[in-house]
Amino acid sequence: MLLRLVWATLSRHRSRTLLAILGVAVSAAMLLDMVMLSSGMRVSFRDLFVATGFQIRIAPKGTLPFDTDATIPDAAAVVARLRAMDGIAVVSPVLGGQLHVERDGRSVSSTALGVDPAVQGDYELEEGREPRAPNEIVGNEDFLTAVGARVGDTLSGAAGFDPQLRAVSGQRLLTVVGRGRFLYLASGQRAVALPIATLQAMRGAAANDRVSLMMLRTAPSANVDSLLTRIEAAVPTVTAISIETAMRQVDERLSYFRQLAFILGAVSLAVGFLLVTTLVTVSVNERLGEIIVMRAIGVARGRIVQQIVLEGIVIMVVGALAGLGLGLVTARYLNSILASFPGLPAAIDFFLFQPRDAWMALGLLTVAGILAGIYPSWRGASLPIAVTLREEAIG
Amino acid sequence: MSDILLSTQDVERSYHMGGELVHAVRGVSLDVARGDYAAIVGPSGCGKSTLLNLIGGIDRPDAGSVTIDGERIDRMADRDATRFRLLHIGFVFQRFYLMPALTALENVELPMAEAKVPSAERQRRARDLLAYVGLAGRRDHRPSQLSGGEQQRVAIARALANEPRILLADEPTGELDAKTGREMIDLLAQVNRDGTTILVVTHDEHLALAARRVVHMRDGVIVDDRRQDAT
Amino acid sequence: MGLMLVAALLLQAIDTTPPARPPRTVAIDERLATDAKVRVGDRIVLAPTPGGPGDTVVVAALIQRRADPSEVARAEYRVRMHLDELQRLTGYGDRVDRFAVATPSPSATDSAIRTINTAAFGFRAYRSHDIAVETSRTFLVVSRFHRAIGVITIVASAIFLLCIMLLKVDERRRDVAALRLMGISASSIVKSVMVESAVVAVIGSAVGVAIGGLSSRLINWHYRGVYRTPLSFALITPSIVTLAVSLSLVLGLVAGFLAAQRLVRQPPLELLTGRRA
Repeated sequence: MLLRLVWATLSRHRSRTLLAILGVAVSAAMLLDMVMLSSGMRVSFRDLFVATGFQIRIAPKGTLPFDTDATIPDAAAVVARLRAMDGIAVVSPVLGGQLHVERDGRSVSSTALGVDPAVQGDYELEEGREPRAPNEIVGNEDFLTAVGARVGDTLSGAAGFDPQLRAVSGQRLLTVVGRGRFLYLASGQRAVALPIATLQAMRGAAANDRVSLMMLRTAPSANVDSLLTRIEAAVPTVTAISIETAMRQVDERLSYFRQLAFILGAVSLAVGFLLVTTLVTVSVNERLGEIIVMRAIGVARGRIVQQIVLEGIVIMVVGALAGLGLGLVTARYLNSILASFPGLPAAIDFFLFQPRDAWMALGLLTVAGILAGIYPSWRGASLPIAVTLREEAIG
Repeated sequence: MSDILLSTQDVERSYHMGGELVHAVRGVSLDVARGDYAAIVGPSGCGKSTLLNLIGGIDRPDAGSVTIDGERIDRMADRDATRFRLLHIGFVFQRFYLMPALTALENVELPMAEAKVPSAERQRRARDLLAYVGLAGRRDHRPSQLSGGEQQRVAIARALANEPRILLADEPTGELDAKTGREMIDLLAQVNRDGTTILVVTHDEHLALAARRVVHMRDGVIVDDRRQDAT
Repeated sequence: MGLMLVAALLLQAIDTTPPARPPRTVAIDERLATDAKVRVGDRIVLAPTPGGPGDTVVVAALIQRRADPSEVARAEYRVRMHLDELQRLTGYGDRVDRFAVATPSPSATDSAIRTINTAAFGFRAYRSHDIAVETSRTFLVVSRFHRAIGVITIVASAIFLLCIMLLKVDERRRDVAALRLMGISASSIVKSVMVESAVVAVIGSAVGVAIGGLSSRLINWHYRGVYRTPLSFALITPSIVTLAVSLSLVLGLVAGFLAAQRLVRQPPLELLTGRRA
């Protein structure tokens, strides 16, 4: 009977109920988006960091990986020292640079990563094979399209461009042996990977025995924190960064979005709450006579409150379910805006949907629905019966 | 079991209206026997509706006592008074006050649902009650689809749902035309003949005549109390 | 070069040994001064590599950060020193990363750019404005995001407003019915509801502007502290206020109109009794 009463009451004013549901749906969509935003970036970045199984990154002292043009000197000695350390299973050196390829009279520039193909963690091969010989490269789709090349083609590439002489340096013939998806690069960014020694040679003296970054895979039983300390003690020219440290940096840089998410989420919840409170209050005021008569014929106050609160919850829950779909659509749209951040890895999503987020949004809205209905319903159900009957009769 | 079902002793009730203190009921003592059919009549503002509210437990007296079947209604906490009304008192109002969103059948079921009567039983009983009041064919209609007289019949059926000890009716014919009012009077008389004690408040002299006892009130006190039947 | 500087020049220590010749002076940014506990007059050692040999210099001044959006969220420190000293210290030789050129007038800027680019060998001249546009792509993205949130908020507000107006106007159904029965025309009722909703919208937007003003102060205070910058993060301008007030007025009027129209379309008797005629 309780559910019957709730349904009957809500369907009595269809357009009002539908509009309230729509209002809650919009509020729920916004709330869901903000919940997704607050956790999505973090999860997305973490997934990216752990994607290839490297737990530690080594960068020049005082910098973050590829944050500056600085490089680590005496790279070979550093690699050897790290490989000899307890707890380190794999050391993957990376050198950053540029590759300039002439095409149709203009120069196409791409990011070049010098890697050790046996232990690299920068790309996933989609076609072809890893470079085996010094002059072999793997390019991404954007690079191959820009230079008009396919796997198997040979092209001439240069590592340096001297603006004074308007001349290239470190030029050599390179063969494309594979096509890969580069994990840490922005969408649309052209990239190639080649053996690190090749890139060092092409870049000349400035890059001799230098790397931009080293990625370390630790042994399963290794304590990452103590490893960081040992590495920095053994190699004073570097900064060792664990995934946790990197995540802290990410948190700090993206704190604005988390705070925005919290504020907008709270506002959405408050507005949804306000809407349901107003609806319940108006509904109670309109039905005061009915409510009081129910009290008069012996329906308990608690039951009446239950019915009215349930009406509010139904609106909230139905609205929330509708808002789920709407929220996913708006999240996609908002994500597409933020994904165009310059330099942001293509793999990063700001709005990442996890079922937990939907449950949280639903839970918050249900609680808000309960609270929104409690006061007006309790007030209505607690009015003195005789006085109210008299006033309703006069009214 | 005592012959007296309802007993009020020196009940008083005052309330503020427009800045003035109005003494609606002043020291009223009234006994109603089980199975009786009493009408309280009097001019507007004489306190008859207030007295009915006090008897029904939907208002609390400032002084005096109200006892139904030995139980002090006036001393009950709100929750207990509500429960008592549900199980032992049936209310019929001038304005019917049916739930507009429910059908006639569902309106009659409502008090039984609250009393936790199983669904099948309450539906059967509700159908029987609607048939009893002559609305067997209208049970799926909403109040907006029923005439005033039909609505009041549904209200009476609802009031009888939990087999109350006493039926209290406040101006039950107040919103009905003469013909429909007479039908209502006949129905109430039938209900009383079938064993339900009835106390009705009314301006309607026809309704008053149908009762077996008429209690006159004026200015918050009983000024006359006489039987109209052979007993 | 600037990046090299940031990466390579490390604050070694506060050096207390008197130098052989008078040390040269540098200016450091106040963030660095605070974090490294360096004051004006202190001697520090600047070196191109960590732990390597460097120059002893004296801190002559502290630089206050400009309100530059591109510096927000970058935790780097800045040191300003004489060009020749930096060139020598880093082994850069007789090279620079860029020249900044001031011109007396916009037309002089155009002709200067043309002249430089014609004669230049290995470098190009750009307007500072064009460079700024290119480097502020990040903030264009943030702006677009904020605008999208704003649009969604406006749409949501419109729906909420309509819903609440509908409820409130519905509440007065019987009053409206009584007025109609008395002979008051539907258009008069609609107009009166619209006036009411306009007043509520104007008062509401005034309150909203006050809250927005207060919030923007709070936001600026908070993020200036977090990012250690004098930048303004939230700005309330006359055009923004005008837009907000106009929009809420329009939304309020439309919501009032729709709610009132819905009510006056129903026959008065139906409004009064709730029964369909």
